[in-house]
Amino acid sequence: MRPSIEQPRSSRTGLKVIPWIAVLSLFVLPLLIKNEFYLDALILIFLWGAFAGGWNILAGYAGMISLGHNAFFGIGAYTSTLLLLHFGLSPWIGMLVGGLFASSIGLILGVICFRLRSHYFALATLAFGEVGYIIAVNLRSLTGGSEGLALPIQPSLTLFSFAGKLPYAYIGLFFFLAVIAISYTIEHSRLGYYLTAFRENENAARALGVRTGKVRLIAMVISSFLSAVMGTFYAQYVVFIDPSSVMRIQISIQVALFAIVGGIGTALGPAIGAMIFVPIAMLLRAKMGTSLPGLHMIIYGVILVLVLLYMPQGIGSKLKEKIPLLRRI
Amino acid sequence: MDSTLFTQLLISGILLGGIYALASIGLTLIFGVMKIVNFAHGEFFMIAMYLTYWVVHYFHIDPYLSTLILVPVVFLIGIVSYYLFIRPTLASSVLAQIFITVGLSTIIQNLVLLFWSADFRSISLSYATDSLVLGPFPALHIEEIMVSPARLIAFVLALLLSIAFYLFLKLSYTGKIIRATAQDRSAALLMGINPDSIYRLTFAIGIVLVGLAGGLVLPVYTVHPFVGFDFVLIMFVVVVLGGMGSVVGAMISGLIIGVVEVFSSYWIGQENKQVIYFLVFIAILVVRPSGLFGLKEEEELEHIETID
Repeated sequence: MRPSIEQPRSSRTGLKVIPWIAVLSLFVLPLLIKNEFYLDALILIFLWGAFAGGWNILAGYAGMISLGHNAFFGIGAYTSTLLLLHFGLSPWIGMLVGGLFASSIGLILGVICFRLRSHYFALATLAFGEVGYIIAVNLRSLTGGSEGLALPIQPSLTLFSFAGKLPYAYIGLFFFLAVIAISYTIEHSRLGYYLTAFRENENAARALGVRTGKVRLIAMVISSFLSAVMGTFYAQYVVFIDPSSVMRIQISIQVALFAIVGGIGTALGPAIGAMIFVPIAMLLRAKMGTSLPGLHMIIYGVILVLVLLYMPQGIGSKLKEKIPLLRRI
Repeated sequence: MDSTLFTQLLISGILLGGIYALASIGLTLIFGVMKIVNFAHGEFFMIAMYLTYWVVHYFHIDPYLSTLILVPVVFLIGIVSYYLFIRPTLASSVLAQIFITVGLSTIIQNLVLLFWSADFRSISLSYATDSLVLGPFPALHIEEIMVSPARLIAFVLALLLSIAFYLFLKLSYTGKIIRATAQDRSAALLMGINPDSIYRLTFAIGIVLVGLAGGLVLPVYTVHPFVGFDFVLIMFVVVVLGGMGSVVGAMISGLIIGVVEVFSSYWIGQENKQVIYFLVFIAILVVRPSGLFGLKEEEELEHIETID
């Protein structure tokens, strides 16, 4: 929606400043939060927001709904952790290795599942994610099986390990903003238009000369890379990984839910979804995690269903519609 | 591998496969008629297991009888779920269709967890504790074969129910309407069939079928809030192998998957057997997405096109 002619010039330039103010306040925010619990919530918002953004690049822009992104997340977490434990390799490098490994797997999966659309693609990726989980559980000699792997705590920048939470908050913020920036760039680039064209009408896109196969694979590679990177970040932050925390299918469902509720196929949607859901989950778990197990998942499910039924474009897009100020951003 | 062991494994596999077949028919039927993949199918299986468990637990009624008594309840659950979740998304995007049932599955799993805790529950049949012994058959060089009575009863009942449903679909007027709608929705509409009532009925029947399977296996498996997920993955494999939408395909491939599961868990171990059938699953999707018994390829696979 273009701004109308009668819009005064000054207020338009004023509006352009708003996103920068938002980014700036995000930078200040971690310094203001003194409570460990809230800082933890903020870091997890960054982590899940970035991961959901990675999922969104494939599912949102290309319309290829993956239920197997838990495997990419897990590959990232296990690759960097195993390299660190066995070879003392810095997780920063491990993160890159894990990302490249995951995107090669993603590329292979993409090529194999080339012909599959909609439900069929979702089913194939579901099976793929489950294979990842089973391997992580059963390859005990490497992954430690269900007992998981504990990471060493030795604060050092090169080992991606810190004593306090603050550095993690800034690293998380960096990924969070980076994924939004990447999504925004894709959305407004040739690649984004190609992906959207493929999603909306594959035959028309191909008739117009879009190489739909190639752009889809590019989306797959970027998406799996980012998911794996967030897996490494998770491992370094939580310092413990096991199949059920980094490889479970629920992880894929969760990021999909964040993206859908926030606004699928938009750069900010997944971030908004994480901002809504992560605090709800954390508060519910802290207040009644033992007395009412699974309550936060019920609320997740109900919100997902309500959003799908009543605002399929997501809450983010709805807000944009309702609040004219946001429309210009 | 000697012939006794082979026969033993084959029989175990077929007994298991009968249950898979019954559970998967509903899933494939719902897909065939409504073009919706019900990701919450396993949760209905789990609910039926729990309901049967509670009826057995509180009223001391035989589990197989309880399963049959519960059919109207499960049917009603299917109808309600249809109105609340399925009907509003029939015309929505694939994304909404997938995640509405994923959301439903999450809600059901965790509601059950909340109310009935994560405890593993099971029942035992007083009249079926000892294994049946078949054989020996010296002529075939087969020694004694052990068969669990609970599994045998579940298999026989599942087989009878599957065949009865197949006959209903083939011979009854309602069955014909369901098949007509699955074959060509617009043509069925033109013939005066009300798709809404057929969808409602199909969904509820699908849920009843998976519910029956859940009740029948209660004496064999333990029930917990996440048992549905393990089963639904197998059901997806069965449905895709048989061809999505094909009822006969689901029945035959249910048996195949049962046998494959038993043999692969013998050869490569209980933990890794799943890897085998998920890889088989992806391979079928890739090589022949219409499955072994897929119907008309163009119609069934409107979303699948080869590239260049």
